[in-house]
Amino acid sequence: MVQRLLAVLVLLATLCSPVFAETTIVFATDATWPPMEFVNDQKQIVGYAIDFMTAAGKEAGFVPVFKNTAWDGIFAGLAAGKYQAVVSSVTITEDRKKAMDFSEPYFTVRQALIVNKESAAKKIEDLKGQKVGGQIGTTGYFAIKNVDSVEAKSYDEIGLAMEDLNVGRIAAVVCDDPVAANYALDKYKDNLKIGSIIETGAAENYGVAVKKGNADLLALVNKGIAAVKAKGMDQELKKKWIGQ
Amino acid sequence: MSQKQSNQIEVGDGAAIPNPEDKGLVSAWYIALFGTLALIILLPWLKPDPYLNILRFVPDGILVTFEVTVLSIALAIVIGLLTGLGRLSPNRFINLIASLYVEVVRGIPLLVQLFYIYFALGRFVQVPDIIAAVIAMAFCYGAYMGEVFRAGIKSIDYGQTEASLSLGFNRRQTMAYVILPQAWRTILPPVGNEFIALLKDTSLVSILAVADILRRGREYAAESFNYFETYTMIALIYLLITLVLSKLISVMEHRLSHYERR
Repeated sequence: MVQRLLAVLVLLATLCSPVFAETTIVFATDATWPPMEFVNDQKQIVGYAIDFMTAAGKEAGFVPVFKNTAWDGIFAGLAAGKYQAVVSSVTITEDRKKAMDFSEPYFTVRQALIVNKESAAKKIEDLKGQKVGGQIGTTGYFAIKNVDSVEAKSYDEIGLAMEDLNVGRIAAVVCDDPVAANYALDKYKDNLKIGSIIETGAAENYGVAVKKGNADLLALVNKGIAAVKAKGMDQELKKKWIGQ
Repeated sequence: MSQKQSNQIEVGDGAAIPNPEDKGLVSAWYIALFGTLALIILLPWLKPDPYLNILRFVPDGILVTFEVTVLSIALAIVIGLLTGLGRLSPNRFINLIASLYVEVVRGIPLLVQLFYIYFALGRFVQVPDIIAAVIAMAFCYGAYMGEVFRAGIKSIDYGQTEASLSLGFNRRQTMAYVILPQAWRTILPPVGNEFIALLKDTSLVSILAVADILRRGREYAAESFNYFETYTMIALIYLLITLVLSKLISVMEHRLSHYERR
């Protein structure tokens, strides 16, 4: 009797569970990009993008799971289906759109040039013949490569480039402005400064990348992003993580 | 007599070095070489985008890889010779220093040593990236090389030293004019192996933003998203280089064993 009851309960549970279970989306993130996404001293992945997606999940009904992944292979893993989406300060570019689909933008940045305190450089072109570093495969690195007169150096992580700039092996680093602010105004504030914000035409938008053709997932993520923006939660998050 | 010899297991660091007597390995080497060559030529020819673009993108990386390898091995041989002599020195202090160096270096992974010399020590001494890479690689391989030198020197019969000393040479002259010239024949083949192993290990310096073959490949892949094609080409390039080098070393080894075969 008890066994039969249990069996019925188990059956009921299996039948009902899909109704209660929310969709889980595994997001890959390269958590070396403070303050957007990084690992804090408690070894948790935190940051603006993490809070944003968690809030978006609450609004649209999905549970985000964040998987720390090296930037270098992050799009290869997406194509291989190791995770469903990438939320890692990915700027929406035409080249990238050919390889993957993007959600609506969730953040806007510009590229910043970080230099030594004593440097007078205002743009990349000012550093003729010198080495300028950026993270491999980022829009900051592409901006350096577009300037022929400087030597572009690609790093695995932006923090390593900052350290090289700090000890003087390279003349400047180019990266997204919130990240630049985090390093130049906080961690290395005695040595480094933001030389300038590079005006390369349009501002850059961060989007969530999903595998090409995954329209259902994209719709769900877009719904969440729209809801967070509509409620003004993104402004609160900006205050929390970026300040001004 | 030959029964008394214990079975030896030899695991080289480099690609399998073809031994002229071992027919099986020779054919494996030929198959690998021609397979690699065929792929390196055919792929870009059949599918220029992206394979030919990759081949155009990496050549300066090949130069950097060779630059780091050759400089590192040269420095490592010097460090190795000093360490090997130090390990055999009757002076207890020198002996201790040399042994300590070998012990410390062999206990730390090469990748950690690279990070250490580049980023940790970078706060105090600033050296350009390639030099930092060379110092780190040479520092690590010098320890292994030291063991090679020690074994090579010890392989020379003590009678040689006795004879040399009785002829009036002092210890330094004995080492320089009698022992080392003979020990070279034993030392060179393993040094060749270390060279190939070092060349492969230089792929680690790509972590220091040194633009070697692997770094160039990663840059290409990160921009084009052609991961499969890029890493296929990178692997083929490394394979071709090590196959050719291992052949050269086998030829050298063959020449050096000339005296023993008589």
